[in-house]
Amino acid sequence: MRRRAVPAALIVAAGFSAGAITVQEIRADGAADERAPTGARPLSQAVSGLPLPLRPAFTVGRPRLLDAKEARARFAPALEAVEARARPRFDAATVARLTRETEEGTTNVVLVLGEVRGPRGTWVHVRLPVLPNGRTGWVPRSALGGYRFVHTRLLVDRARFTVTLLRDGRPLLRARVGVGRPAWPTPAGNFYIRDKVSGFDDPFYGPVAFGTSARSAVLTDWPGGGFVGIHGTNEPQLIPGRISHGCIRLRNDDILRLARLMPVGTPVTIR
Amino acid sequence: MGYVHRVKSEAFEPTIEDLALTLAEVDADGALRETAAEAFGETRSAFLRRSVAAAVGIGGLLGAADAEAAGVATTKNDIAMLRFDLVLEYLQAGFYTEAERLGALTPKTLGWARVVGAHERAHVVAIKRLLGRKTVPSPTFNYGSVTSSERAFVRTAVGFEDLTAALLKWQAPRLDSRSVVAAAVTLHSVETRHAAWIRHLIGLRPAADAFDKPASQQRMAQLIASTHFIAARPRLASRNRPRWTG
Repeated sequence: MRRRAVPAALIVAAGFSAGAITVQEIRADGAADERAPTGARPLSQAVSGLPLPLRPAFTVGRPRLLDAKEARARFAPALEAVEARARPRFDAATVARLTRETEEGTTNVVLVLGEVRGPRGTWVHVRLPVLPNGRTGWVPRSALGGYRFVHTRLLVDRARFTVTLLRDGRPLLRARVGVGRPAWPTPAGNFYIRDKVSGFDDPFYGPVAFGTSARSAVLTDWPGGGFVGIHGTNEPQLIPGRISHGCIRLRNDDILRLARLMPVGTPVTIR
Repeated sequence: MGYVHRVKSEAFEPTIEDLALTLAEVDADGALRETAAEAFGETRSAFLRRSVAAAVGIGGLLGAADAEAAGVATTKNDIAMLRFDLVLEYLQAGFYTEAERLGALTPKTLGWARVVGAHERAHVVAIKRLLGRKTVPSPTFNYGSVTSSERAFVRTAVGFEDLTAALLKWQAPRLDSRSVVAAAVTLHSVETRHAAWIRHLIGLRPAADAFDKPASQQRMAQLIASTHFIAARPRLASRNRPRWTG
């Protein structure tokens, strides 16, 4: 019987000891328990075998809501050649044919003005790169790719020979330009940037050029359809002035700055 | 109103398979698949296989230099999973951002999308920062008319949130780094809250089952492909000599 009593006493003692450690762990944020039995292991020894808390590989920063006042426009690529209609219906009159590619081999894009949902799908109201300038039409949503958003807008002032790039309504860049001669005027109206071309070997257009949806109303038989570009020049001394066939010319330093800041799809207003 | 009645029905408690069908159903106007081959010179399925494979990024180029610099011992396995997560976060962030910008949703749904979109964009930033030079760029997305249709939007949103949570559940025990697991579970709980929130908004039970099933990464890749939301990148620049009026 005595032999059995010894282990039982040890078990009871061990229980007290474990209890003391537990109490000390629980009170680790404050003072140690003054009533803990003497001989209990200090907290540092008790937790030394436990793993350290993990630091997450990343933490997610503060979420930022969209700015409700952001100035934006959207554009979409043409997925297929499609007839643009006068109204959002398949039986409406055709106002233009939208091709899938531009003359430069880029994807044809259109500026999106709005959309409506009907029983036969969604129709998108778009600005078209056709004559007469300013023409709009409706195409099925399925004929266009994903929407892209831009926060920039380009203003061309033909009277003051200036171009101003705005981002979210604030001026970002201003430069002097050359515009069309009186016989070949740069058309006024609302347009958009269709593509960006660089790396070609023609100093006449400078190092970078942007294609717009604007077209010369006079030079309709110009190769490629008489589209108006925004580009550099090999005759910077002529800027500012009425010097071109309708295109908008910038000094090469200025077109390079513009190229860094202005994405394709940017709306363009020429006045 | 018919829609509200339908989603409140007890019979409509979607499973993973239902959600897969849901995502497949919302293929814009149903014409994207037909136009893909013509538009991009390859079949959309081939393109998507390529896109998803690139997104998953399983290959010898993967490394862990940036994660290691941040004090995280990240393996190729972890980086591959994080890259997959990043693509999924891009997909969701773009989806909610576009829906908010188009503004075609009801105020209640729009309010939800506004908050959740901000969360998903924050997730993108966090994962990109961890991946550093091993990050993947955002694919190009085409959500069609789903972002401007209340019905299609909420169905897709339920699918996205439920499935993202299911994916993270599948990944967690397969990650090598406990630090990455610790980070992933912070995303997981948020995604489940998003899921419960949108379910509550549209009359579904926020907690459908006693246990949530995981969904594998492979299954998720299939589901992403089924949405046809990943699109070919349009060619916006060229080196061809222009022929403008000059």
